[in-house]
Amino acid sequence: MNGFNIHRAYSIARKEVMHILRDPFTLALALGLPVMLVTFFGFAIDYEVKNIKLAVSDRDNGPASRRLKEIFSSSGYFHLVESDPGAGPVALVDSGRAAAALYIEPGFSKKIKGGGSVEAQFVLDGSDNSKAGAIMGYLPGIQRSALSKLAGTQVREPFSVETRFLYNPELNSRWFTVPGLAAIIIGLLAILLTAMTVAREWENGSMELLLSTPVRPLEIMAGKLAPYGALVLAGVFFVYLLSRLVFGVPFAGSHLLYLAACLLFVTAALSQGLLISVVTRQQQIAMQFGMITGLLPSMLLSGFIFPVESMPRFFQYLTMLLPPRWFMAAARGITLKGADLGELAVPFLALGLLSAGMLTLALIKFKTDLE
Amino acid sequence: MFSIRTENLKKNFGAVKALNGVSFDFSAGLLHGLIGSNGAGKTTTMRLLAGLLKPSAGGIHYYSDGKPAAFSDLRPTLAYMPQQASLYPDLSIDEHLEFFRELYRLEPAVYDRRSAELLRITRLGKFRGCRAGQLSGGMYKKLGLMCALLQSPSVLLLDEPTNGVDPISRREFWEMLYALAADKILIIVSTAYMDEAERCARVHLLDSGRLLASGEPRTVLKETGAANFEELFIRKGAEK
Repeated sequence: MNGFNIHRAYSIARKEVMHILRDPFTLALALGLPVMLVTFFGFAIDYEVKNIKLAVSDRDNGPASRRLKEIFSSSGYFHLVESDPGAGPVALVDSGRAAAALYIEPGFSKKIKGGGSVEAQFVLDGSDNSKAGAIMGYLPGIQRSALSKLAGTQVREPFSVETRFLYNPELNSRWFTVPGLAAIIIGLLAILLTAMTVAREWENGSMELLLSTPVRPLEIMAGKLAPYGALVLAGVFFVYLLSRLVFGVPFAGSHLLYLAACLLFVTAALSQGLLISVVTRQQQIAMQFGMITGLLPSMLLSGFIFPVESMPRFFQYLTMLLPPRWFMAAARGITLKGADLGELAVPFLALGLLSAGMLTLALIKFKTDLE
Repeated sequence: MFSIRTENLKKNFGAVKALNGVSFDFSAGLLHGLIGSNGAGKTTTMRLLAGLLKPSAGGIHYYSDGKPAAFSDLRPTLAYMPQQASLYPDLSIDEHLEFFRELYRLEPAVYDRRSAELLRITRLGKFRGCRAGQLSGGMYKKLGLMCALLQSPSVLLLDEPTNGVDPISRREFWEMLYALAADKILIIVSTAYMDEAERCARVHLLDSGRLLASGEPRTVLKETGAANFEELFIRKGAEK
């Protein structure tokens, strides 16, 4: 009929800007919500497990056992709870009042003094995998410290493995969570914003009028993407300031690359919302679809919490369809490692392809009549 | 000048026969009235003519100066005003006009003249800053008409433009339509108000997806012997 006309797309965009300006709720949602949520959850989520309740049953009560308890409590990770002499430490773990238990047998101190080999038993609540895993990680350090302090001599190991963490030397978990959190919240916001737009035209009745004018679906879609893209990028900027200034997240790479990654990711998320809107044509359903497809998969399958590499193969392939997965990789690469464009080729390409794919699908599904 | 003819036009929605073989003749340069009660098939006809629905059977033929033309020839100069609310409640009158000016890419000089003229005819000049959602029923319909007329269409489809509008505003609306009809454009107006039939140059009486009669209003009444269109519809209803 007629080709893409940039002026008509612009007229749709301008109208959309007027809608946004008229609706303080959308504006506040887009600009304020990401900052609020990232602040809130940024402080709340901490992978470091601290203040672990450790039930202790000290049947020895000698100088060495007291020393061992001291080592545990001075590590900063454990909070010691004396167990009832009758019940034993495991009962405390059973009742959920402690996450781990330490059992020191009678004669512990005497045996150490005599130079013999002794054992102390450590019981862990395995029902919380991630907590148990974290506690396991603390044990070797404590054991080493106990060896040298209790035996009184510096133990010489035949060899030692020295670990050095690159990019995040202190393993500050906020450096890891805050950018990931930002990606999920920004992505969800972008999906929800565009998920409403086309559906609103249908519910409003204005789509019937629009379809009788010369405007083409691609022009409508472009006109809707541009203003919301600008809006979400403004939100990205505020979240960036927040993570740098409040959470002290380092930025090792190029800001230009980061902007490009954000632009690609936002486009992909907006396209996803647009596709949902075009298909559902009802705001409420579009909203629910947006929440379902935008929140859970990006939280659980994007590599934000659980590494993609440890998922079953099928799910590893499935995650490739999720824009946050690629953005998460690109953003962590740029901010923490200072990756260059060559290293980011795959995530960038994937984000571009996903955007193009979803936009094409939306264009195909865009109805130009009322049938 | 465009004219439209339909041939045994049928449209089904599932088991419902919205249009059951109708042949209209919308001749050029006249004000046509599509008269019928609710559910007669008026909106379906309008949507078919505007290209928003596809016929289940039969055909729609478009003509330009008497010669067959494609819908795509007519489409750029076709204006359609849907029956249901289709404006943006949060945008003002001025913003609507601006939006359609950009959509139709009107020259500033043309737009200025046209919008000033339309605001004068509709007498909405005082309310230019009002949002569509705040307008009364009559003013809302007038704004819809303004948006449709901004591009100076040669085919104008108005689906129940006076529905829910008070009698005085209705009369104003018809006066506006007369002024437009003087421009020799093809206007098709649908209405459920029988008294409005007599205001049209040609009427097409639609009942349950069938065409009861069509022609000049007075001729139609004379041929059927009815005093007015209300009586005509009641009599036809009783015959069934």
